[in-house]
Amino acid sequence: MKKLIELDINGRIYEVAIDARDLLIDVIRNKVGLTGSKKGCGDGDCGACTVLIDGKPELSCIKLAIASQGKKITTIEGLVQESGQLHPIQQAYVDHGAVQCGFCTPGMILSSKALLDRNPNPTEQYIKHELSGNICRCTGYKRIIEAVEAAAKVWSKEGV
Amino acid sequence: MFLNHFEYFAPKTPAETLELVARLGSKAKILAGGTDLMVVMKAKAISPDYLIDINGVEEFKGIFCEPGKGAVIGTNTKLAEIQFSEAIQEKYPALAYAAGEVGSSQVRHMASLGGNSCNASPAAETPTPLVALGAKVVLSSISGERELPLEEFILGVRVLDLAEGEMLTKFILPEPKLKSACRYAYMGRRDAMEIDCVNMAVTIELENDGETVKNIELVMGSVYPRPLASKEVTALLLGQKLSDQLIEKAAEAAQGEAKPIDDIRASAEYRREIVKVLACRLIKEAYAAAKGV
Amino acid sequence: MEKKDLNLKSKWNLTPEGWNLEGVPACQDEKRYTQVGRSVPRIDGPIKVKGEAIYTGDMTLPGMVYGKIKRSIYAHAIIKKIDCSKARELPGVLAVLTGDEAPNKWGIVPQAANETVLAVGKVRFYGEGVAAVAALDEETAEAALGLIEVEYERLPVLLNPFESMERSQEVLIHEDSKGNIMHAGEQVYGDVDKAFAGCEYVLEREFHTNYPQHGFLEPHSALASYDAQNGQLHLWASSQIPHYLHRQMSIVLEIPMNKIRVTLPTIGGGFGGKGEAAPSEFVACLLSRKVGRPVKVVYDRQEVFYTNKGRHPCHMKVKMGLDKDGYIQAVDFDNTLDKGAYSGWGIVVLFYTASMIHLPYKVPNARFRGRSVYTNKPSTGAMRGLGGVQPRWALECLMDEMAEMMGISPYELKLKNAIESGHTCINNMFVPHSEFKKCLETAVKKSGFLEKQGKLPFGKGIGMAGGYYITGTAYTLYQNYKPHTTVMIRVDTEGGVTLLCAAAEIGQGCNTVMAQMVAEELGIQYEDVHVQSGDTEIGAFDLGSFASRLTYAAGAAIKMACVEINQRLKETAAGMLGVRADQLVIKNHEIYSMYEIKKRISWEKAVEAYTSINGTLVGMGNFSPPRRKGIDIISGNRVQGANIGHSPTFGFSSQVHEVEVDVETGRIYVKKVTEAGDCGTPVNPMSVDGQVEGSIMFNIGACLYEDQKLDVNGKHLNPNFHDYKTPTTMEMPEMDTNIVESYDHSAPFGVKETGEGAVQPTFPALTNAIYDAIGVRFYNLPITPEMVLKVLKDKKEGKL
Repeated sequence: MKKLIELDINGRIYEVAIDARDLLIDVIRNKVGLTGSKKGCGDGDCGACTVLIDGKPELSCIKLAIASQGKKITTIEGLVQESGQLHPIQQAYVDHGAVQCGFCTPGMILSSKALLDRNPNPTEQYIKHELSGNICRCTGYKRIIEAVEAAAKVWSKEGV
Repeated sequence: MFLNHFEYFAPKTPAETLELVARLGSKAKILAGGTDLMVVMKAKAISPDYLIDINGVEEFKGIFCEPGKGAVIGTNTKLAEIQFSEAIQEKYPALAYAAGEVGSSQVRHMASLGGNSCNASPAAETPTPLVALGAKVVLSSISGERELPLEEFILGVRVLDLAEGEMLTKFILPEPKLKSACRYAYMGRRDAMEIDCVNMAVTIELENDGETVKNIELVMGSVYPRPLASKEVTALLLGQKLSDQLIEKAAEAAQGEAKPIDDIRASAEYRREIVKVLACRLIKEAYAAAKGV
Repeated sequence: MEKKDLNLKSKWNLTPEGWNLEGVPACQDEKRYTQVGRSVPRIDGPIKVKGEAIYTGDMTLPGMVYGKIKRSIYAHAIIKKIDCSKARELPGVLAVLTGDEAPNKWGIVPQAANETVLAVGKVRFYGEGVAAVAALDEETAEAALGLIEVEYERLPVLLNPFESMERSQEVLIHEDSKGNIMHAGEQVYGDVDKAFAGCEYVLEREFHTNYPQHGFLEPHSALASYDAQNGQLHLWASSQIPHYLHRQMSIVLEIPMNKIRVTLPTIGGGFGGKGEAAPSEFVACLLSRKVGRPVKVVYDRQEVFYTNKGRHPCHMKVKMGLDKDGYIQAVDFDNTLDKGAYSGWGIVVLFYTASMIHLPYKVPNARFRGRSVYTNKPSTGAMRGLGGVQPRWALECLMDEMAEMMGISPYELKLKNAIESGHTCINNMFVPHSEFKKCLETAVKKSGFLEKQGKLPFGKGIGMAGGYYITGTAYTLYQNYKPHTTVMIRVDTEGGVTLLCAAAEIGQGCNTVMAQMVAEELGIQYEDVHVQSGDTEIGAFDLGSFASRLTYAAGAAIKMACVEINQRLKETAAGMLGVRADQLVIKNHEIYSMYEIKKRISWEKAVEAYTSINGTLVGMGNFSPPRRKGIDIISGNRVQGANIGHSPTFGFSSQVHEVEVDVETGRIYVKKVTEAGDCGTPVNPMSVDGQVEGSIMFNIGACLYEDQKLDVNGKHLNPNFHDYKTPTTMEMPEMDTNIVESYDHSAPFGVKETGEGAVQPTFPALTNAIYDAIGVRFYNLPITPEMVLKVLKDKKEGKL
């Protein structure tokens, strides 16, 4: 028996009919139609499906959709500012060459946001530690770390 | 891969939760972080008929840490909260460190302290320091509560001393003794997203002279079906002033007690080697810390 | 973003050919290029960071249904019976497919093609597809798989190539491959035995490599739509090789190629793993034809592991001889490759390993004996640096050891033997340009290698290695003379400038680089160029993204296409300005006379004038590499398989790794990597650095952490990212990558490869660094903490 639930995604309420067993990633991608969140492994090992739930990074491939009711869910589509400008982290990823194939990118950017939200003046070691759940096979991570450091500078200046 | 169909409950209070646990019994699983549960359900290793999601129950969350009174940690306190809690960092640095080394940032924001114990995986990170810190668990049911040392709660691989209708609701940590320190370390192939091949915690309490061991607890993870508290290390070092020689002897004793297995992550032989290395390092670290060096 | 001042004029006025009037070659004029050589952000960066890039799995078509594949639970078995009746009856199931419905063999190398879409009669590896279903939703498709009953008769499982050869009398994996050998070959150049006899130093070692796979983040995905009315098939697929996929689809489906269109949406990485067609793609197409609706097939991670075409485990015997001064006289190389179940890239990889002994050092006499042997594992195939990584590891480690024998630095030995521009190898491979020595010098100098090697405390070490890779191949994989790349550039007042081609952007950044090259040639800016790539219908022919071929091949074709366009625009502008067309220069959106700089009009005006008379301006360009023959240059004799390895030009690089070994736990920590690479002109230096950094981490992973493990029955023990351990951010060393000054006059814009060359020195530099740290050489990969601890123990007990 499917159940009608409400999900608050990027500040908009979506009504979706789901089974209790449905995973958040599948609901976001297939029922809501926001395909920016990626499914890289389905086991919570790669981080490509990372979304923010009440601001905290969680793995939507091992999270029940039904358990996400009443929470503020942020996906990569929710990061662009109202003016259409990229979020400073997104801009830093573009400028620093932190994107190659782009499949890990949405999850990586959301993890970056979460770590900067907690600590806007991060050390390199802290960035590495908090990003270690997002696997990237293309970049060797160097430019990703640089992008987060650069975004942190903009962040502390502008307080985004 | 899809999960099996199940009925989903999201109680709001401890009473509601305990009532569901009593009513649904072993056909139900408690969903806290789900970082282990969802993965085993996806693999069809288990297919529970009911899931009781306890994330809506505020009483199961939180760190209550008062000076001189130990700490009480709710079962569904997320590992990231423990990792970043200044109170825990100060009073129980080994626990904060262990919590911060679990899986990834995402896993730590989802996974709970209770889940990390109740999953009863030999490689679990936090049960090791919790046992070394003398933590007790509170098991609740509609008919009441009982307290149990954590080391008596985890019985083996995926086996708990949990009666039908009972659930773990909180951890009680005693106040660390004066002149004592606890340290944690682990070994794996990577420094993140790792399932430890060995982890270990050591608590040392010193006599007033600041040198003689009054109490020592060495706990090993991933080398036994459950967290293994060494008896021999305690027997060897109690009442002693520690020297490198003595420490090595104790580490070798721990090595002898460990009963690791061969698997894809490491061989038993390697795990045994690492037991000795970590034991030496941790006893030294904890000893130095207890001495206030 | 920092933008160069585009109005900055060169201090010399340049002719269109790039020579200034004083006769100084353009490559020495640093302002020769305005678009090429700039670190510009990728053109697909913004849509990727916004999550708006569309990958195959993100697509939905009206009426689309879902396909899933039933997989074998045995690694080697005869299929006695497949009963699909219960699956067919499940409501929501539209069709079930079995192997006998599509028995035509496919494989990227047609001479050896022996794979079928789904197993026919027999399964040869664990997880091989045996049937497939199309259903209205994924849940039903998955449930239907559980209702398909397969009856197997198990056969002995062969997981080791030596056992496979030994037991071939008893069991054959392919009936037509005697001895379970897919292919064996021998190449002899010069007189190897005589050369060894005259050597002062001779060393022979055995090396064994591991079984890593690509780990691209986007699983294989395919979406097919077959239009029954016009017989047209459209396939969207996560592939590196739209053309070869196109071709194989035609063979398997028995549809002419002109009725099939392959489109690449955004691709989430490949590293060679999407360099062959995949069953997901065939199954989607076959099911779509069967049910008359679009069908999507997306693998889960486990399926990617089951069907991966990872790097060949190689069992190598390498012998090298040096004269008294340290000059290489001979190399003897014997290689047994673990082929897995099907041939795939097999013959090509076999002979690539053979070709790797000829560079980047001068080798006057060489012998190769090799065999690629079937086993009951997923087929091995192309993985970043195909054929190069394994022999490079062996040779560079061997030379490190030989330098020690001689009592000299490995740097000295390598520098002494390094090839230079204009080198012809004994197998007729020709190297038009090399800055390899500069790579060695730069990496060694910047890392302080000479000051540190042999002098660091126990547990700390430094090691170096060199390497090279091809910049595209000389031949297509099937007999054909057509150009390897064709591009079309359209210029008009409506679309501006559009590059239409079938190159595969798999994340490496070729679309950005191609836009830069088009802009450079046309005298405009890269942001002005639209790139339509990865589509066999929109774009003209391209072989695909492999062999590090794209920048060079596309660059050459782009240059050619632009000649026509520039000529037409100059003629138009000449009429408008009243000057001669051959005295006009196009730069920075302007067309001007090189003699009378006041005579100038904007580029857009010329385009408008041209198109208002003639309509859209189109330039076509193509590229065919030189087809050098693999011969013994002394005897002139043809050598089997020796056409493989030739390339229009070669990239070179060198790495120095610094490690710390925890001698109590055996853990190896890579602290710093200093790299220097010769990639010719770096079209986009930021992109080059990204490729190099990614390459280094990729092979640090395979050297220290990654290995696919199977149990005795061939079942995977780690088909997931928690037990198949790719490096995380925590494993990232400090990286200092350097692009050495280089310009290949024979290459378009002076470019060479960079995507695969930089993986080559990683294994040996790291292995040599570990030796420097703990005094033990490793001949097996990956180098695990357990191995380190064991050898240290053996050493302590005097066993080593």
